[in-house]
Amino acid sequence: MPYNPEDIHITPLDVGKAAVTVIGVSKSFGAASVLDNINFSVDEDEIVVLLGASGSGKTTILRIIAGLEMPDSGMVVLHGKDVTQLPARQRGTGVIFQSYALFPKMTVESNIAYGLKIRRSNRKAIREKVDQLIELVGLGEHRKKYPSQLSGGQQQRVAIARALAYEPEVLLFDEPFGALDAQIRATLRREIRVLLKKINVPSIFITHDQEEALELGDRIGVLNAGRMEQIGTPFEVYNKPMTEFVATFLGAANILEGSIKEGRFVTEGVALELDGDGKFKDGQKVKMVFRPEDVFLRRAENLTQNYQKLADGTIKEVTFVGAFERLTVRVDLPGREEIFVNRPKTETAGFPMRAGQNVPVGLVRFRIIADQKPD
Amino acid sequence: MSANLSGIKHTRGFDIVKPLSITMLIVMMLPLILLPMLSIFIFGTGNGLGSFWRALKAPEAVFALKLSMVTSFWATVFNLIFGLFAAYVLTKYNFWGRNAVIVTISLPTAIPTAVAGFALLLLWGPYGLFGRLVGAENTPRIMFTSYAIILANIFVTFPLAFGVIKPVLETMSTSLEEASATMGASRWQTFWHVTLPSLRGALLGGALLTFARAVGEFGSTILVSGNLALRTQTAPLYIFAKFNEGQVEAANAIAIVLALFSFAIFSILFFARDWLEAD
Repeated sequence: MPYNPEDIHITPLDVGKAAVTVIGVSKSFGAASVLDNINFSVDEDEIVVLLGASGSGKTTILRIIAGLEMPDSGMVVLHGKDVTQLPARQRGTGVIFQSYALFPKMTVESNIAYGLKIRRSNRKAIREKVDQLIELVGLGEHRKKYPSQLSGGQQQRVAIARALAYEPEVLLFDEPFGALDAQIRATLRREIRVLLKKINVPSIFITHDQEEALELGDRIGVLNAGRMEQIGTPFEVYNKPMTEFVATFLGAANILEGSIKEGRFVTEGVALELDGDGKFKDGQKVKMVFRPEDVFLRRAENLTQNYQKLADGTIKEVTFVGAFERLTVRVDLPGREEIFVNRPKTETAGFPMRAGQNVPVGLVRFRIIADQKPD
Repeated sequence: MSANLSGIKHTRGFDIVKPLSITMLIVMMLPLILLPMLSIFIFGTGNGLGSFWRALKAPEAVFALKLSMVTSFWATVFNLIFGLFAAYVLTKYNFWGRNAVIVTISLPTAIPTAVAGFALLLLWGPYGLFGRLVGAENTPRIMFTSYAIILANIFVTFPLAFGVIKPVLETMSTSLEEASATMGASRWQTFWHVTLPSLRGALLGGALLTFARAVGEFGSTILVSGNLALRTQTAPLYIFAKFNEGQVEAANAIAIVLALFSFAIFSILFFARDWLEAD
């Protein structure tokens, strides 16, 4: 048995409804643990992005779902069917490899037809399906070409069409934009999201690019050293990070250590009112996270804004980065000498600031996270 | 001050080393390769094309050429299949003794062909391990038949096809095979539809190399074949025999054919592989 149901204690997953369910999956290569009790599910029509640095185990999850790797424990369920013991070829997943892995000696058409040919579909059915897919991905004029004659973006579309041909249980994208340059990446991921929403196939992407994750995913799973730190909508993981890792991996974050006292976050010289979030015990050690854009700077004391004062600071550096202004502000807080602040154009135009200026530092919003990892 | 800098022309002095070294290269090749090749053609056709043609049409000559082609063909078929199989197993699986297997396959490159022939004789000859079994009555004899020539050819060309196919297999991305598997293909289907087409160039190259080498084989063949005219005499043996008998013209005619043949194979190797390997 590859898994022991007794070991699995998780929030209940609706295996019946989900397209993909990964339950208690762990994997080690030799002495190195790569995945540690991974649980998540992907609904029909949903795009889930697994986000993590290299070595976080995200590729291994994908390979385990595809059947290219065997988990040490746990199970993989595709549309209600336990496929943990099935070899890759019997699972019917569609994998879009990082390098696309198009068959070099086959034309675009033959690449797309391959899965159907293997399934011995009749010629007419194959022909119709290939025509339909070539139209879907817009490669009509390239159908007789070989992969080496196509651009990266075109190759990727062939890879997707090829996987869609046999109506896969799930599409698995292994860092699909890794080989492309920044501009094409941004265009392609928008295109792919539109395409996937049109055809409604459950999909899992893996990436190390947080911007890509935020833009592509209906939900994002953040992986750190083989553990799933948090999974939720882009809004949730960005605005309500549950761990310090999630807070810092997705976007920039300023972090302050302290504790809870009478409904307040308290540290030396700081006391901030919490808005109703009663899940922290009095005296509990916590971390306070705030994003650069959650900071509010004003020259004069101005209390009309809805913010709480954090500290007095001195502007150390002002950098213009296009859409907004990035400031480094020197503060005198425990464990923290500098904080990072972003100011939007509307602000910078009305209230220009320069290095050396003294400013009160206010917080528009912040988030408290438990100091230890939740078990 | 800097106004007229663009008017200054830069020229480089004549480099004597270039024409000198090219000339030297050709002068060195002349007596070593080009002139010997040329003399075959000059002497072979010296008495007119008619006598060349007559020498070529001699039954013994025709037989020798045919025998060379047929035995080389079967040796090529065997070594191509074997080389492909060996390369596939050795790139796909890692096992204890893998390097020993690779060295063993490559060994015939380093063994003198006369030694190879002698070794085959010891094994298959009347007192050899296998020879005792097959030499008895009502069993086919191996030594001093065309089978012996095929065996000798297989031995000396053993590593050639393998050596061409293995590096190509090694550079093939495993994700191609994985992609094929996720799309529902069995191992055999993946091999047939994905792996094999990518090896077209290597297979052709390996086959031509093996065949060319087998057609020219002399050292091992002369020991195992018996060198009997119209029975076990291959083209290189024919050249040797006729030369010994003083029939230089007969030897020369076959030499021309073999030389042209090698040239043709070399040209195919040179041009067709690029074409086959192009996507």
